[in-house]
Amino acid sequence: MRRPVSLLVVTLVLLTAAILFYRIIWLDYPVLPVAKGQAWQLLVNVYLTAEGEESTFTLGLPSEHTGKMVVEERVVSSAYTFNTQKNGPNRFGIWSKSGHNGPDEITYRAMIHAKPRRGVITQSPLLSPYPPAMGRDEWKVAETVARRWQALTPLARFNAVASVLKGSDPRVSRSGEAAFRQWNVVQGRHERTDAALTLLRASDLPARAVEGLQLVEGVQTKPMRWIEVWTGRTWNNLNAETGEIYPASEALLPLAVDGMPIARVTGAVLSDIRWTVSRQIVTEWKLLYERIARSAHFLDRWSLLQLPPEFQGTFRILLLVPIGALIISVMRNVIGFPTFGIFMPMLIALAFRSTGTVYGIAIFCGVLLVGFAMRSFLDKLHLLLVPRLSVILTLVIACFVVLALLGNKIGLREFMAVGLIPFVILTMTIERFFILVEESGVREAMLTSAGSVAVALVTYAIISWEPLQLTFFVYPELILVVAALQVLLGRYTGYRLSELIRFRSLGGAS
Amino acid sequence: MILQGFRRLREAGVLGMNVRNAEYIMACNARSAYPLVDNKVQTKRLAGKFGIPVPELHYVIENHGSISGLSEVLKDLREFVLKPARGSGGSGIILITDKTEKGFVTQSGKVVSTDDFNYHVSSILSGIYSLEGIEDVAIIEALLHPDPLLNSVTYEQGVPDVRVIVYRGVPVMAMVRLPTKASDGKANLHRGAIGAGIDVGSGMTMTAVYRSRIIEKHPDTGNPVSGIRLPQWDRLLLMAAGAMDMTGLGYLGADFVLDRDKGPVLLELNARPGLAIQMANRQGLRTRLIKTDDAPKEVFSSPASRVAWARENFGQVTNGSAA
Repeated sequence: MRRPVSLLVVTLVLLTAAILFYRIIWLDYPVLPVAKGQAWQLLVNVYLTAEGEESTFTLGLPSEHTGKMVVEERVVSSAYTFNTQKNGPNRFGIWSKSGHNGPDEITYRAMIHAKPRRGVITQSPLLSPYPPAMGRDEWKVAETVARRWQALTPLARFNAVASVLKGSDPRVSRSGEAAFRQWNVVQGRHERTDAALTLLRASDLPARAVEGLQLVEGVQTKPMRWIEVWTGRTWNNLNAETGEIYPASEALLPLAVDGMPIARVTGAVLSDIRWTVSRQIVTEWKLLYERIARSAHFLDRWSLLQLPPEFQGTFRILLLVPIGALIISVMRNVIGFPTFGIFMPMLIALAFRSTGTVYGIAIFCGVLLVGFAMRSFLDKLHLLLVPRLSVILTLVIACFVVLALLGNKIGLREFMAVGLIPFVILTMTIERFFILVEESGVREAMLTSAGSVAVALVTYAIISWEPLQLTFFVYPELILVVAALQVLLGRYTGYRLSELIRFRSLGGAS
Repeated sequence: MILQGFRRLREAGVLGMNVRNAEYIMACNARSAYPLVDNKVQTKRLAGKFGIPVPELHYVIENHGSISGLSEVLKDLREFVLKPARGSGGSGIILITDKTEKGFVTQSGKVVSTDDFNYHVSSILSGIYSLEGIEDVAIIEALLHPDPLLNSVTYEQGVPDVRVIVYRGVPVMAMVRLPTKASDGKANLHRGAIGAGIDVGSGMTMTAVYRSRIIEKHPDTGNPVSGIRLPQWDRLLLMAAGAMDMTGLGYLGADFVLDRDKGPVLLELNARPGLAIQMANRQGLRTRLIKTDDAPKEVFSSPASRVAWARENFGQVTNGSAA
């Protein structure tokens, strides 16, 4: 009898360990998927009114080339069809629609995570041509100025250009002061961005104009513009207006590169566009999601993370329910505390998810009391079993309706959020509570109710603990360990704690 | 402190709920045998085959349609018992002692109208009193008349019964359950009946518990509970031992009523007998179960040899030492 049990337990534990080991060592899963990482949430709200037959709206989207990782994207497009297009370093979202004039709202949401700089392009980008706004003679001036730092390293050349843009002579050599003054005149005639790009081109530095956002919390209605300059290893960011170099720690998010506009609209009027940036703490798990979604490994393709997001939530909860059942086993077989069956406390715990514990317990007790009064009255009517349960069921639902109406009047959402599960539990609980009161007395019934609520609270705390949810979600094989514990508990033949009290007259006798 | 408590219980040989379930009920009782004891109609039929006396079965009401014909059936019966075939813990049982113009007179003197009576039958049929709430049948059987011997320690018209725990056909422990005012005349310990241990060797009542307190005297009648020698003890134990051969259940509780005229009569069998008998006897069951397992093989050959072995080994009054 004992041997198959231990064999089963050992098999379950070993199987879990093997899968865990494989995932962590070969697939490089995080050991604890709950480690926190920092991320930014970007929300773009666009309001536009279509006027022509065909209208399109193009928006620069974050892409992965800049050491940032887009973890999760969601788009709400109203009547528009949505497409994405890769265009060199750019990624554009294109919304298009034909007919149906009128105002629309488009939202785009993305989670962006700064990735450690790994696997960055080592190949130097090509020099871009001079900006078309600049004349040939003006290139010459720039080249004369740049000749002074021709021999320096790219980074030093970049610093020199920056100081020229600030309006001061970098003084890297004594000659060419005339050229510098001449350049200042040229610079004054043009847009600062064009001037900067010209001077960088003359200094043999690959550079490009960028529109994007500064990653600080807040709402931005206008994109920021800056210049990315390649200095041999990385892109450096330069403010063309002031000549300031952004420190590497400055978080900038490029959205449209190479002079492309960040937002373009045809056949419609863009009435408002807003970029909202907020800081978020995400778990490694979210990042894992992205990786698993692209992985070809068997276990990755069969991971729960591959499920559509709307179903994932359910399974995050479901995977923890066995732990609740384990707790109930402990309560009953080790402690000896009575509960209303095994499902009732768990279903109550699930109901707590929508109502919260305080209101949940209040609603539970309130409906139980009303139901008990009703059940006592029904007892006198001598109704048969099934019709009697139907009457209680109807009463419970009536209670919920009244609660919802009350909640609406006094503005308590919890009263309306009872959901569908609790009415079954409450009907059964009322019936069993009544029978328990009749057969074993009020004390026993109260104890059982308290036990059920206590187990429900513990179960609720467990199933709503996110780190545990994520751990079980990423490593669903862990429920085999839970099963192993349940099997072990099934073979627990020791005394129950409650039996210390029950048999106390026997314990002291010998 | 907790571990110490567990150790004390273990040393006292107390049988806990978990061990009872895992090592005795699940190991010794085949699921397939449960219907034989859970359904009283089947138990009666089986007992009849094995020559064990049971309350005579008058009638089985199987569906709501036959309720209307009840008055015809009950015409000739002055006294009888109505009970659910699959009831538990004594619920749903009505003892009828007489009939009047207004209806039936119950044991406690209350008059039940024919309508109320028929309603009760219909409740039984719809499964209100059955073990899992599933549909049931109602049975009408002969009313037993308790031996006056126990009248001094029984509240009014209550019917005391004798519970014997039978392990592998060996009657290992016994108690008598005495109705009190608090238990409403019912012989259920958790309703407040008294449980008095019986010496297996002599059939003599010993200590008693009332609501987990040790008592000397019956709380309603004031008479001493211990020292009453039950009649036909050997016959009762033989019937209990035979219940194993009858049902194949290795661990069971057999309930008997001592009838004035017929002697011990088997009332019902239970495949999950409770643990309260240990308090009534102030003795752990586990010790006796283990001792039974160690008994020589030939002991198990017949009910008579098992009873003889049990009376010799679990008797307290005769040899004076605790088993």
